[in-house]
Amino acid sequence: MLNVHEVLKTFNRGTVNEKIALNKVSLELLPNDFVTVIGSNGAGKSTLLNAIAGNFMVDSGEISIEGIPITRLPAHKRADLISRVFQDPLSGTAASMTIEENLIMAFRRGKGRRLRRAIGPKERDLFRIELEKLGLGLENRLTNKVSLLSGGQRQALTLLMATLQKPKLLLLDEHTAALDPKTAEKVLELTCGVTEQQQLTTLMITHNLDHALTFGNRTIMMHEGRVILDIKGIERNNMTISRLLEMFEKASGSHMNTDRMILA
Amino acid sequence: MFTQIALGTMEQGLMYAIMVLGVYLTFRILDYADLSVDGSFTLGAATATSLIVGGTDPWIATGMAFIAGTLAGLFTGILHTKFKITPLLSGILTMTALYSINLRVMGRANISLLGSRTIFSDFAKLPFMEEYGVLVLSLGSVLLIGAVIYFFLQTELGLALRATGDNELMIRSLGVNTDLMKILGLGLSNGLVAFAGSYVAQKLEFADASMGIGMIIAGLASVIIGEVLVGTSSIGRAILAVICGAVLYRAIIAVVLQLGLEATDLKLITSFIVIIALVSPTLRKKIASWSGGISGKEAQ
Ligand SMILES: Nc1ncnc2c1ncn2[C@@H]1O[C@H](COP(=O)(O)OP(=O)(O)OP(=O)(O)O)[C@@H](O)[C@H]1O
Ligand SMILES: [Mg+2]
Repeated sequence: MLNVHEVLKTFNRGTVNEKIALNKVSLELLPNDFVTVIGSNGAGKSTLLNAIAGNFMVDSGEISIEGIPITRLPAHKRADLISRVFQDPLSGTAASMTIEENLIMAFRRGKGRRLRRAIGPKERDLFRIELEKLGLGLENRLTNKVSLLSGGQRQALTLLMATLQKPKLLLLDEHTAALDPKTAEKVLELTCGVTEQQQLTTLMITHNLDHALTFGNRTIMMHEGRVILDIKGIERNNMTISRLLEMFEKASGSHMNTDRMILA
Repeated sequence: MFTQIALGTMEQGLMYAIMVLGVYLTFRILDYADLSVDGSFTLGAATATSLIVGGTDPWIATGMAFIAGTLAGLFTGILHTKFKITPLLSGILTMTALYSINLRVMGRANISLLGSRTIFSDFAKLPFMEEYGVLVLSLGSVLLIGAVIYFFLQTELGLALRATGDNELMIRSLGVNTDLMKILGLGLSNGLVAFAGSYVAQKLEFADASMGIGMIIAGLASVIIGEVLVGTSSIGRAILAVICGAVLYRAIIAVVLQLGLEATDLKLITSFIVIIALVSPTLRKKIASWSGGISGKEAQ
């Protein structure tokens, strides 16, 4: 499904700030895989997702989705395959535009934009039905500007936007980290619902080790630009957080930087 | 006397409103401070007048002014997106280059249209248009262009353009080539600015190589005045605000001139209007934090 092969990414190459963010990282996802990604700060998790989404070009290595090579495609040409939700609730929506305008832009993800009226009654009906599923009352606020919404509402909307048009691959970068615990649970619940219902292939970065083990079917751990642990199947079912930390220390030869980690 | 001045102000305001609509597209929709405007306004005037003097039909000459302005905008857009030059510098480069180009187009520092056919002299020949022809044509043009922009901004393409100015990362991740959007927006904007330049020159029956100086600041002042007085709660309202702002700005200028200030002081006054408008949000925040109100950080 997704194939990342020996991808290398160096920031600020040739300067004193040179940083190898992805060190020949390889990763293969099967269809319907829901993979949680953990690792200490600066491990390269976000960089991996950005590389897949095409925010920058990688130095070397290959990335493909369903056999389609995307390594050299600019971000906007990968949009028909990939959708994403960022950590910052502000970054996934256009604040000055209305809820329905944001939704229609997402509805046309990866398709051409034409010179015709964007929203009609048919689309409005669809949006109402989809928004109702979020259970936030947004279905009655189609023409409200997104800037009026709370962080949690915006993130739920972003999630809906990411899945309105089924993507081949869904990328979630700590998409609940900026929300209060209750809202975070709600957004996670929505995430699980939609990934199951649409059978999405998903990569989800999280700092919550509990979430990392309970959600999805596979967990990978990154350290210094590499995948150092890949846990699935029975091994994962029997995994505990303390054993996970132990394995991390053994595999990386260092302590996990846990200041942003949520252990329980 | 008074009605004469009022009529003239209204006519001018409506013509400049076309330019301000262009500035609105870049400054507000694309969030891009485009300084090419100073050059493309003159480019429009120069293109139209020199074509008219050369015998071209004034309506076609006016259309050519739009095209010339569009090309200038595309150039700025390409400088910025393809060669990664900052928005400000890209605009200044185009503006500076246009100064020479405009002189080339005109062949001299100014052109007089006295006695030539213009869109206004043609229009005045229609029934009942002798006295108010300029006003009607300008008003009609602004309303038509305003309506086209209004509908355009609600098409799929228009939404992509607005989102490019609002949240570039997001709209790119939804598959829009934001570089292309910026080039398109800049082209359209400068096309409108040059179009307005051709109107103004035909009304004045005169084009001058320096007539565009300070146009961008006048445009910003108009946008800001309109937004403050009319509001921006929806796209339709924002467009109306821009048009009203342009007319009001001209009215303020007319009053100031009547009060006895020199025409040469206008740019100083215009800059002041913009400075006050730009500083006032910061001022408001400062005052609020002094008085123990909510500052930006606490509000998070
Ligand atoms: N645009 C950039 N320019 C320079 N360095 C960068 C850039 N983006 C990331 N880095 C560096 O690459 C390394 C990996 O960063 P990345 O954001 O992928 O970490 P992460 O695993 O997502 O960490 P966190 O848990 O803090 O989000 C870090 O050392 C970071 O400083
Ligand atoms: Mg990160």
